[in-house]
Amino acid sequence: MYPIIVFSVSGLLMLFLGLSVNKKSLLPYNLLFMLVGLASNFLDWNAPGLYFNGMLEISNPIILVQWVLIFAAILVSGISSRQFDDTHAYPAEYYAIMQFALVGALIMVSFQNLLMLFVGLEILSVGLYVLTGSDKRNLRGNEAAIKYFLMGSFATGIFLFGVAMFYGATGSFDISSGNSVANNLLEGKMFFWLGMVFIFIGLLFKISAAPFHFWTADVYQGAPTVFSAFMATIVKTAVIFALFRLAAYSFNLEYENWSKFLVIIIGLSMVIGNVTAVFQTNFKRVLAFSSISQAGFMLLSLIGLGAQSYGNLGFYSLSYALATISAFGVFLVISSNTIVEGRPSENINVFDGLFSRNPDLAIILLISMLSLAGIPLTSGFWSKFFVLNDAAAKGYFWILILGVLMSAVSLYYYFNPIRASFKKTDLGKIEISSLSKYTLYVCAALTILFGIAPNILRSLF
Amino acid sequence: MVSQFGFVLLFMIAGIFLVLLVLGIARILRPSRPNPEKNAIYESGEETEGTAHVSFNLRFYIVALIFILFDVELVLLFPWASVFGDKALFDDTKGVWAIYAGIEMFIFVFVLALGLVYAWKKGHLDWIKPSQEETNFKSPVPKELYKDINEKYA
Amino acid sequence: MTFIALIPLFPLIGFLINGLGYGKISKTAVPWIGTGASLLSFVCVLLAYLNFKETAIIVNLFDWISIAGLNVGFSFQLDQLSIIMLFVITGVGTLIHLYSAGYMSHDEGYGKFFAYLNLFLFSMILLVLGGNYLMMFIGWEGVGLCSYLLIGFWNKNTDYANAARKAFIMNRIGDVGFLIGIFLILQNFGTLEYLEVFEKAKAFHVGDGIIVAITMALFVGAMGKSAQIPLFTWLPDAMAGPTPVSALIHAATMVTSGIYMIVRSNVLYTLSPFTLEFIAWIGLATALLGATIGLFQNDIKKVLAYSTVSQLGYMFLGLGVMAYSSGLFHVITHAFFKALLFLGAGSVIHAMSDDQDIRNMGGLWSKIKITAITFLVGTIAISGIPPFSGFFSKDEILAHVFEHNKIMWALGMLGSFMTAFYMFRLFFVTFKGSFRGTEEQKHHLHESPKSMTTPLIVLAVLSAIGGFIGFPEVFHLPHRLNEFLSPIFENSRLVNSSFGVVHISHNLELILMGASVLVAVISILFAYMVFGNGKNVPVADSEVVGLKKLVYNKYYIDELYNKVFVGPISAISFFFANVIDKKLIDKIVNSVGEGVNFSSKKIKELQVGVTGSYILFMTLGILLLVLYQFGPSLLSTFNLLQNK
Repeated sequence: MYPIIVFSVSGLLMLFLGLSVNKKSLLPYNLLFMLVGLASNFLDWNAPGLYFNGMLEISNPIILVQWVLIFAAILVSGISSRQFDDTHAYPAEYYAIMQFALVGALIMVSFQNLLMLFVGLEILSVGLYVLTGSDKRNLRGNEAAIKYFLMGSFATGIFLFGVAMFYGATGSFDISSGNSVANNLLEGKMFFWLGMVFIFIGLLFKISAAPFHFWTADVYQGAPTVFSAFMATIVKTAVIFALFRLAAYSFNLEYENWSKFLVIIIGLSMVIGNVTAVFQTNFKRVLAFSSISQAGFMLLSLIGLGAQSYGNLGFYSLSYALATISAFGVFLVISSNTIVEGRPSENINVFDGLFSRNPDLAIILLISMLSLAGIPLTSGFWSKFFVLNDAAAKGYFWILILGVLMSAVSLYYYFNPIRASFKKTDLGKIEISSLSKYTLYVCAALTILFGIAPNILRSLF
Repeated sequence: MVSQFGFVLLFMIAGIFLVLLVLGIARILRPSRPNPEKNAIYESGEETEGTAHVSFNLRFYIVALIFILFDVELVLLFPWASVFGDKALFDDTKGVWAIYAGIEMFIFVFVLALGLVYAWKKGHLDWIKPSQEETNFKSPVPKELYKDINEKYA
Repeated sequence: MTFIALIPLFPLIGFLINGLGYGKISKTAVPWIGTGASLLSFVCVLLAYLNFKETAIIVNLFDWISIAGLNVGFSFQLDQLSIIMLFVITGVGTLIHLYSAGYMSHDEGYGKFFAYLNLFLFSMILLVLGGNYLMMFIGWEGVGLCSYLLIGFWNKNTDYANAARKAFIMNRIGDVGFLIGIFLILQNFGTLEYLEVFEKAKAFHVGDGIIVAITMALFVGAMGKSAQIPLFTWLPDAMAGPTPVSALIHAATMVTSGIYMIVRSNVLYTLSPFTLEFIAWIGLATALLGATIGLFQNDIKKVLAYSTVSQLGYMFLGLGVMAYSSGLFHVITHAFFKALLFLGAGSVIHAMSDDQDIRNMGGLWSKIKITAITFLVGTIAISGIPPFSGFFSKDEILAHVFEHNKIMWALGMLGSFMTAFYMFRLFFVTFKGSFRGTEEQKHHLHESPKSMTTPLIVLAVLSAIGGFIGFPEVFHLPHRLNEFLSPIFENSRLVNSSFGVVHISHNLELILMGASVLVAVISILFAYMVFGNGKNVPVADSEVVGLKKLVYNKYYIDELYNKVFVGPISAISFFFANVIDKKLIDKIVNSVGEGVNFSSKKIKELQVGVTGSYILFMTLGILLLVLYQFGPSLLSTFNLLQNK
């Protein structure tokens, strides 16, 4: 609960700092605020309960997820160093919006009332629409922002429609009312079901699960890379946990009902995400499609929905965030060093010869790709292992087989950058700011650490 | 049994019906003799030119946004005021109620005011936004030359 | 106990030093570190073996994961099976490290190479020393990754990089099976620790459906890693890697991990005769297929690669007839002679200035004597001539096969005939006759340095006498291997009474032995008649016709795979990427990118159109989902309401 307050205030502060402070010293302030938020989160530790008149729930597992969110935001800020130096960038606004969006994300993982979920979702989404279009001189970015906004509003509409039906059926916005009503209404049940499906669909759109994924590639490509990373990690984590809360508290008695269509969505996401990624040449599009397939994997833990699923999902989110942020971070550095036609190149061949240009970055890229592909001794392996085990526990073996097969397919495109980075080249060395360097080191080190000793993180949840 | 919303519905139906009725009566009674002069758009006597679909200055939009901000503020202020003045609540809590509610509203207004200050500081309220952009263009002509000429013919 | 933890630690340290210090460590220190790490590991294995007493030792370093319902330790299990595998891995591994010090000395990525080799060794040790299936899987994936890195080692060449990727992805497809096997075990046994799983497995009946499913899934993993039909095509392609890699990974150690896995899970397999029968036939088919393709290959490494595929087939054949220890026996002897052959081939290639085509060789016998003699030892060993090692292990397998199924035995003998033929063909064409290469190559011909010939000699000795660890019963000499391994199969004996019962009489055994020797000798004579004079050289690619062409082109299996699997998937992906994504979406995005040339009105139209169609797709998706989900129930609810 405290970080919500901290970030609300610090976002405003950030805006005004932008008026008075030098552009380059904004990032340290931003990191400072985020660290304060991170620290304030632990004030709630061991004080579970409902807050704000039963609007938000705080418990240790929720605090951990919030910690994941804030930590991911810190990492994203870390890789943003030197990215907003040119005259047309307004880092104060970007960082402020990031903090506001974070507020939305924090609300989304702790809501107890569907209205709060809606408020959180909107705070998060509106911030992201703006961030997507923040590079005003990039036509692609502008288009992406409008597209994202239109489709996002559409999804929000569907979501709200679902919430209305939920209210109509149960007479309450409290998420726990789903269960109390599910068993005894006949007429209301139809609305309850429809509401459930629409709420699910509205949220599935936000984590870009197929067939609601169409915006993903365009938006990831159009948005400035830092914000693509933000989108890929924080939004995904927040929404999947919102879905999990709903699945676990409102709709768990209806498991038979929604799991039936969720597995189809999972299968579609895995197949469409992985298969489409294979021939992409734009790295951001590759990561966009990879994020679609990863969304499929994350949803597996909803299918599992056992005592361990929450922790599995938490582990998945953090390890996915670490790998994705380091992939985006490495890409950001190289692409801003490779200018084609006046813009940073986004083609996969920017990685050519990375190993000789900057070996550290190449190794970090290797680790991150291996983790995304789920190779052992990286945290990505365990995260996939956990969620697949969850699905297996419920007897969904066909989705398990599909998942493992698709992760084999994913190797194909995850190896492309690795292959490129070991090519010979005569291009010069790549310099990198020390902040993003250490951020990337942290990502890679944690990926390996959690790969070797997953229990460190997993036992927390 | 008609519920509360039923009354609303009845009002709406009655409203629509009344409007249609009046317009219908007028249509029956009035003479209808249109000519081009009559059909023209009335713009205070000026002749209209071009299409109405033109780009407006973006500043209208920003001003409109700020207006909306305070408009919406009022939407909250009215119901708040009616609850704030609730005598029973006031008595129940020995006045603490009013203090809390007052502080809350001050925070709310303060945040909005901050927004206004921010927009003001950023210069969004000035109709012509002053902007002096340094260009990276390196002119081969030294700056002193311009200065000299300016002074010479000043 | 400390020795056990040290076994994998040394290669890991070696990897870290050589890997992190890449470019900083002097070239003379690199091989010392790499080989030293491997040797120290071998010494630890030796010490661990000397301290070992009968019962398995479990060392749990730390809890890998411990949550309710899932408890896996980072644990090592030292028992007879892992000791044998460790001896092979670290022993042969050390020799190959030593060999690489000479072979790779001219390569610029020297340090990187040794780092990868040590990493491979580490993964392989994890694989065989791990105390549960997850540890095995970690090692399993680790060796796959190292194999990828080492095949693609000379990654300047795109073909090599593709071969590397092919190897990794094919392995990954096999791993699908392995992982599913692991999940099945976890769901049905609630644990992954070997001892607990095998203990619980005893409660199952022979032929239980779950066990069949588990064993089949695990075997799919083995197919991928150990290059069995239909997942074998990556192995010959993997020859793109440096020769020591081929020797270490693609002949001696990694490819046998599938066999290790089955021997390790022998209880489960014994419980599932159906799977065993399946394994036996797959193994046999692979043995024959590999052997026939090997008959006509002209690349010295490709011949050895197909021979490896074929020999792996024999091992699986042995496992399939429940002759687990015989399969493992063949793993050991095969490690000796195949590593020897590969390293010998490397020495030949080294001498030939990196030419691998045997049609350009010939008459090398006198030029590179040590290599030639050791190569001959390896060739005799693989052909199954007593008292060389290959004879003992292969004969043991075939004896068990005879007992199981006579047709299988006959086919096995056929494969054995072909093996002897293609190996001696390779030997004669390479070393006999006169030199057919260019003048330049002839000028360069030289024996390899000491660091390369020493491993050859050691391996030649091992290939010659390695079979003595397991004498056939008929000679009344001790079968040390069987005695040593016996505790491993304790559970198998308990669950299936037919395990390990030998019906074969001593006379019959002698006859079978004689037959197999006879077949080998005839085959060698045949090869000598055709190729022995060194005149008869395989023809150029274009002149190969008819049935021979089919075999020469490896039955067009690669092409078939491309058509059947890669093609459609590529097509779908191409469709998604290029038609849907590029043509439909990208085109519009691009046109927006070139927006300067477009009137804003047009862009607006396009934009709205596309987003509209996105939303249309979404809406269709929603509609379908709702109908799928609630169609029936909605209908019935409406009916109910109406009836009211």
